[in-house]
Amino acid sequence: MNISSAIVHARPGSAAVVQAGLATLAGVEVHGVSPEGKMVVTIESEDDASNVAIYERIGQLDGVMSAAMVYHQTESEPEMEVSVEAGHRAMPQLQGDLK
Amino acid sequence: MKLTRREFIKTNAIAAAATTAGMSIPGVAQAAMPQSEDGVRWDKGVCRYCGTGCGVLVGVKDGRVVATQGDPDAPVNKGLNCVKGYFLSKIMYGKDRLTRPLLRMKDGKFDKNGEFAPISWDAAFDIMAEKVKATLKEPTQGPNGVAMFGSGQWTVWEGYAAVKLMKAGFRSNSIDPNARHCMASAVAGFMRTFGIDEPMGCYDDAEHADVFALWGSNMAEMHPILWSRITNRRLTANHVKIHVLSTFSHRSCELADSELIFKPQSDLAILNYICNYIIQNKAVNQDFVKKNVGFFKGVTDIGYGLRPNHPLEQVANNNGYPGADGKPKGDPNAHSPISFEDFAKFVSEYTLDKAHEISGVPKDKLEALAKAYADPKVKVTSYWTMGFNQHTRGTWVNNMIYNVHLLVGKISEPGNSPFSLTGQPSACGTAREVGTFAHRLPADMVIFNPKHRETAEKLWKLPAGALSAQMGYHAVAQSRMLKDGKIGFYWTSTTNNMQAGPNVNGEIYPGWRNPKAFVVVSDVYPTVSAMSADLILPCAMWMEKEGMFGNAERRGQMWRQQVKAPGEGRSDLWQYMEFSKRFKVEDVWPADLLAKAPELKGKTLYEVLYANGQVNKFPKDETVKVNAHARTDYTNDESDAFGFYVQKGLFEEYAAFGRGHAHDLAPFDTYHKVRGMRWPVVDGKETLWRFREGYDSYVKKGEGVRFYGYPDGKAKIFALPYQPAAEMPDKDFDLWLCTGRVLEHWHTGSMTRRAPELYKAFPDAVVWMHPKDAEKRGLKRNDVVKVSTRRGEIELRVDTKGRNKPPEGLIFIPFFDEHRLVNKLTLDATCPISKETDFKKCAAKVVKA
Repeated sequence: MNISSAIVHARPGSAAVVQAGLATLAGVEVHGVSPEGKMVVTIESEDDASNVAIYERIGQLDGVMSAAMVYHQTESEPEMEVSVEAGHRAMPQLQGDLK
Repeated sequence: MKLTRREFIKTNAIAAAATTAGMSIPGVAQAAMPQSEDGVRWDKGVCRYCGTGCGVLVGVKDGRVVATQGDPDAPVNKGLNCVKGYFLSKIMYGKDRLTRPLLRMKDGKFDKNGEFAPISWDAAFDIMAEKVKATLKEPTQGPNGVAMFGSGQWTVWEGYAAVKLMKAGFRSNSIDPNARHCMASAVAGFMRTFGIDEPMGCYDDAEHADVFALWGSNMAEMHPILWSRITNRRLTANHVKIHVLSTFSHRSCELADSELIFKPQSDLAILNYICNYIIQNKAVNQDFVKKNVGFFKGVTDIGYGLRPNHPLEQVANNNGYPGADGKPKGDPNAHSPISFEDFAKFVSEYTLDKAHEISGVPKDKLEALAKAYADPKVKVTSYWTMGFNQHTRGTWVNNMIYNVHLLVGKISEPGNSPFSLTGQPSACGTAREVGTFAHRLPADMVIFNPKHRETAEKLWKLPAGALSAQMGYHAVAQSRMLKDGKIGFYWTSTTNNMQAGPNVNGEIYPGWRNPKAFVVVSDVYPTVSAMSADLILPCAMWMEKEGMFGNAERRGQMWRQQVKAPGEGRSDLWQYMEFSKRFKVEDVWPADLLAKAPELKGKTLYEVLYANGQVNKFPKDETVKVNAHARTDYTNDESDAFGFYVQKGLFEEYAAFGRGHAHDLAPFDTYHKVRGMRWPVVDGKETLWRFREGYDSYVKKGEGVRFYGYPDGKAKIFALPYQPAAEMPDKDFDLWLCTGRVLEHWHTGSMTRRAPELYKAFPDAVVWMHPKDAEKRGLKRNDVVKVSTRRGEIELRVDTKGRNKPPEGLIFIPFFDEHRLVNKLTLDATCPISKETDFKKCAAKVVKA
């Protein structure tokens, strides 16, 4: 499956409309909205085709000014359990001078 | 805490987006798996596609790239990705990756009309060496008959190794990159106006400009991440305005305050009108112009870069082609000094009325644009790409946008910037800076200049006279010379000219299939070009090798090898170096040259070019030391194969060309630690704006501005006229045909069409057409139509709405679709100075299929 995230920027005053629009799309979740109308959104899709299709539909929603993608990962065993340490930064762990 | 992998990945995805947006998301568990359990190893990388040069983080698991993310620490994209970059992890894993060398054979032997069959690398190099040696000996071919067509997607060291093999090894200047099709006009424009290549400004201009003008560039689709920076500027500063100039309406127009749809080729008239407006309204920055600018008039009957027997060339007296007496007819690049008053008089005929009449753009829009350039209080950044560069007057139109910026002194400072964008990830870093063009050497040097050849010979430890002064065949000339039998050996890599080159039917296909030519294609997928070759070599790509790209703002960026190429795939770098072992100097150099360097006798080209004491200077364990901050026990396939840190050795030898000559690169090791640096890098500091004191250390204290590319420190303003295109609509072919790209696909789609998401998002090319033009021909949206020109025809569906909206009289077709080869239709007319093809203008007709 594909799991990805994007930043959706709503036109001034349109955040609520955009959120309502996003709620109608399968596999799309809004995780936060900033005062300027920026939203952190995840897109989950089982097959390859729907991911871009969903992204295209986000771009065409009323009130959306831009949708920029950030993260993408393909996972073949999504339901496998893993243990996780809490409290760390959930970002790629780069070593040394790179971070 | 226990999570499913799905929840964990989602958390990472949310956190990455939140960081990029500068938001914190309450309620999202900040989680991280210990490295061992997650199993994903992350490292920094650079996007594989366009010239923007976005930083990406690359996640590897079990020897495969499984995840990518916009790099939040990359200054270019600050964590964002476009839709192509989003699916980068898929480009290496198309089901039809090439994994073995394939030769056309019949009865166990090479046969130009045989079927592809797998052979060993050894056997592949055997037949290649045989063909090279035969070509060198053939009197009608000779050294320049050994030709290479490379790429703005080559890594820096691949381009550098290729130039050495071709120019110093085979003594052939017939090496040219596909960047010839893409920004040769930008290069020629820079060299003519400034005497030095590449933009003076940088992407930071996007946060400083008051007005943006796009000239023949659809940044919203082709440079989406830079466009997001412009969008952000437009939406956060109320006074900012955007003018979009184009021959058809497209997605960038959606954000435009003013949309200027002009008739093809009339950009020349608009630019002269703006200069005239500036002069008439006393807006010339007199102090700046007096100190920093000289005025020149260029020759004008320069032809259209067509074959010499074309009627348009026979009447051109300055196209440089041989005349009746065998001597060149003038020089298209010739120009002579004039005064400011002469220039003012020259542009005075380009009145608002005339510019409107030629271009068809409403007068108020033309005037508003001219006013923005003229107003001393308004900072203007101009962006352009293929609309300017792919133009039979491409060098001129590049010169002419600089005319405008120079007259008002709006250049080389934050927000005031004429900025030439690039389409390939290392068109700047490799094609231009390394000098992989038929006429070039590294660091802006050229083969015609004896001093430049001498410098290169010394740095390469070669005897005097090793480099040839004879101009090699450029991209379009290569196709013609293949057809004419003058090229006997042709090696292309990292490019797909059978799809991307002009006039496929008339020149390229007959050239490649000419029995006198042996054609080798190095690639990762069976492209149209690969399938048209005689020998296919399987390559390593992107994260399967260590690399360096140089982007449009002079930023060099490196990455480490992350995974192995599948099967027998090998990098271009390995291919050039390994192949060079097949030649003794005696095989390729004349005896009198070798007599000047007896110590080279009996040596292989590998020993002369690569194991020369410089390239092989850094032992293999340096790979571990240089990269210890990021990876434990790092190595790469080429260093393993040759026994030294190949990339570092090639880079450091190459960097010697530019250091101290305003092309300074940082030390190799630095690039593996930082998110790129913009040259010149002097005393560890990068340069954001060139030619201006305080920003550029090559400009001394008290000089203010100095265009140091020319010895007198001045840039050139050129008086050049509006002239019509090479082929225009007439009663038989009544429409302008313009070609280009779409957001989802990059160039010929050989990578993006292997990402299933992108393929499905835009599977087939369509022809965009005005609804009235469709109606006149009895066509409805989605009808299959036949589009034809004097050179060929293709069938595809018509679209009358959607993202591109051509005006009446013009159609647009993208070139990504290998099943609908629009370049069967295009004309191989070029700018006579830059030799870059005009893919934007020819005459076509459309009928129902």
